[in-house]
Amino acid sequence: MNPFQLVLTQMRQRALSTWLTLLSVILGAALAVSVLILRRESTALFAQSDFGYDILVGAKGSPMQLVLNTAYHIDKSPGNIPYIVLEALRNNPALVKHAVPYIVGDTYHGMRVAGTTPALFGFDEYTGKPLAGYDEKGHLLPGYQAAGLPEDERDANKQTAASVFEIRVNKKFTLNQGRMFHPRKFEGVIGADVTARSGLKMGDKFKVAHDAPPGKETELDEHDEEWTVVGVLDKTYTAEDRVVYVPLVSYYAIPQHESAMDLQTAMQQGEDLSRFGKDRPLGDITTKPTTGPSTLPASRSSTGPTATGPATTPTASAHHDHDHEEAYEMTPDGLISLKLPKSRWMLSAVLVRTQGGQYSTQSNRSLQYIFRNSPAATAVSPAEVMREFFNTFLSPTTLILLVIAFLVVLTAAVSILVSIYNAVSARAREIAIMRALGATRGTVLFLICFEAGLIGLIGGIIGMGVGHGLGAIESSFFVQKLGQGINWINPGWEEWVYLGGVVVVSVLAGLVPGLKAYRTPVATNLVSG
Amino acid sequence: MALEIRNLKKDYVGPDGSVVPVIDVAQLSIADGEHVALIGSSGSGKTTLLHLIAGIVAPDGGSIVFSESKAGAADESTDITRLDEARRDVFRGAHVGYIFQTHHLLPGFTALENVLLGMSFTGRKPDPAFARHLLTEVGLSDRLHYKPSRLSVGQQQRVAVARALANRPRLVLADEPTGALDPTNAQQVLALIRKLCEEVAASLLLVTHDLDIARQLSRVLILSEINKAGRSATLPSVPAATS
Repeated sequence: MNPFQLVLTQMRQRALSTWLTLLSVILGAALAVSVLILRRESTALFAQSDFGYDILVGAKGSPMQLVLNTAYHIDKSPGNIPYIVLEALRNNPALVKHAVPYIVGDTYHGMRVAGTTPALFGFDEYTGKPLAGYDEKGHLLPGYQAAGLPEDERDANKQTAASVFEIRVNKKFTLNQGRMFHPRKFEGVIGADVTARSGLKMGDKFKVAHDAPPGKETELDEHDEEWTVVGVLDKTYTAEDRVVYVPLVSYYAIPQHESAMDLQTAMQQGEDLSRFGKDRPLGDITTKPTTGPSTLPASRSSTGPTATGPATTPTASAHHDHDHEEAYEMTPDGLISLKLPKSRWMLSAVLVRTQGGQYSTQSNRSLQYIFRNSPAATAVSPAEVMREFFNTFLSPTTLILLVIAFLVVLTAAVSILVSIYNAVSARAREIAIMRALGATRGTVLFLICFEAGLIGLIGGIIGMGVGHGLGAIESSFFVQKLGQGINWINPGWEEWVYLGGVVVVSVLAGLVPGLKAYRTPVATNLVSG
Repeated sequence: MALEIRNLKKDYVGPDGSVVPVIDVAQLSIADGEHVALIGSSGSGKTTLLHLIAGIVAPDGGSIVFSESKAGAADESTDITRLDEARRDVFRGAHVGYIFQTHHLLPGFTALENVLLGMSFTGRKPDPAFARHLLTEVGLSDRLHYKPSRLSVGQQQRVAVARALANRPRLVLADEPTGALDPTNAQQVLALIRKLCEEVAASLLLVTHDLDIARQLSRVLILSEINKAGRSATLPSVPAATS
């Protein structure tokens, strides 16, 4: 019998004890591996710096909340900023390459509904048509090269496509089905996971609810406007996969949004709020409006780039009747024409790609400086914020978990020690018999340590498997919360190091009973009993 | 393999610190292939003498020399009292078979595994076919995969005999191997030991209380006559068997 067979037979002999010891190692290793996966993947997830935008402009407040809300679609929006901030950014081409508007606040079956423009997806902001060099689905056409390609990588024989916004570095949205929405129609495109999560699919009509959590939507929360799904995006493996995107203008066309923005603008600009009247109390911006006399300022028309003003100017009373026709009119060619002037539009955030294109560049710093001194909005670097978030919260938390996991493994090692120590005590005669059969003290020590190491190895490997199973659960949790899973399948180098550590600790734990066995007096144990 | 013991001494220190001589053998020889019985009363040092010969315990003095004649070559002799413990262990594993009074089988191992266990510490490749042959010879060919708990006492002792012979030892030390057996089983086990020792050309030193058993071997030694440290034997002198 070789040592392996010998040890396996001995382990089989005390199967219950071996299994219990193995179980403690498996649990310890599984916990540690799942923590290692969580630590590694949360680092990759939250400390990532590959956002396609290097500045997020949003309401003053918590930068982290702004980033979590905009990039990961979790947490509440920290508030709104005036639309003119977007225009101001776009009027500064020396610093800003792309500025994409973003407004949130509504949900569809618990999933985020975001108002934006086709620019977010790399399409023409005014028509929703593909830009030069891209096809209907947003893919680069043959014979074209991306505008973001570095000079030294460019092919002289290819044309350069239009510069487009990318959601991640070198990764823009593309359509899997259908087409991009028209920026002035009640159309929407949905993320790749929306169909699976809600059943919403191409051609379906849908309504959205005001910021209601899943399953908590009530009829009162639901807006009356109805959108049609005209496109489904390719999977990005990010939180964007479970977002329903609608045109910014259609978002403003919702009467409740219109009145809320009007109120917010009034408050921000210090206007007389008495005009909102009793039937429209402050803060009552989430429920359906009541019909009644006009309480909003009269004579507004949109003249912005995404919503040309209506041909007719509504009267104040007509404007404030709060019927659906009040917030917008449909032009003869079926486009939304907003009544709310652009000066009163609001945004949740603006996604900015600076000219530098990289973080910590001059343009990036300049923008942050400008907004630092602005009362209207703030500008943050999402990469920096997430790095800070990771360093402040996640890193220490996972470190604590790692320490706990290490202690659990030490506990498992102690259980190996106790188990084998007890076995050695009970097997003193067996050890003496082996010695009488020619086993040296060194052989006995080796066999005990080998057994301990084998338990560590088997437990560690099974624990790795179980740990990855826990990683799958962690991943589904991330998917549920962030719409973005983690790589729980591939083991990282740290796991192999950990497995080696488990084996070493186990062998060291085996040394104690091993030395006891080493010192077992042969003659005494052969004779006694 | 012949065995030559000279001036072998072993003392034990009592709990009160007193030194108790246990073994003091001036001379003891066993010829190559000889089967010798050693009889003595309880506490006379029989087991200690076997432990000394096997190298399980180190003596306080004297020599234990194993010598082997090789055709066309000089005799090879090893004084195990000059070996350190590890080398004594290795020597024992390779050249000495030990049969205990109680079988001392490992309970978690099958009969075959127990025999294979005896082959595991010699550095030589285990020979499962020979292990099966030994178990067949002791009448357990249909019990190869039985654990000791499923074997009778007699069967357990047969497995122990097979295990002691597993490495084709040159000397077999048997410490009252029939002591726990009924007369019929005792005779059968003795016959098996002798048969297998002859098969592998091993010398045999068998300790027993049983005069009938002792008489069947080629020579009988009375420990009290050769061990000055032992208590006086009360057993009468026994004539050696002629066979």
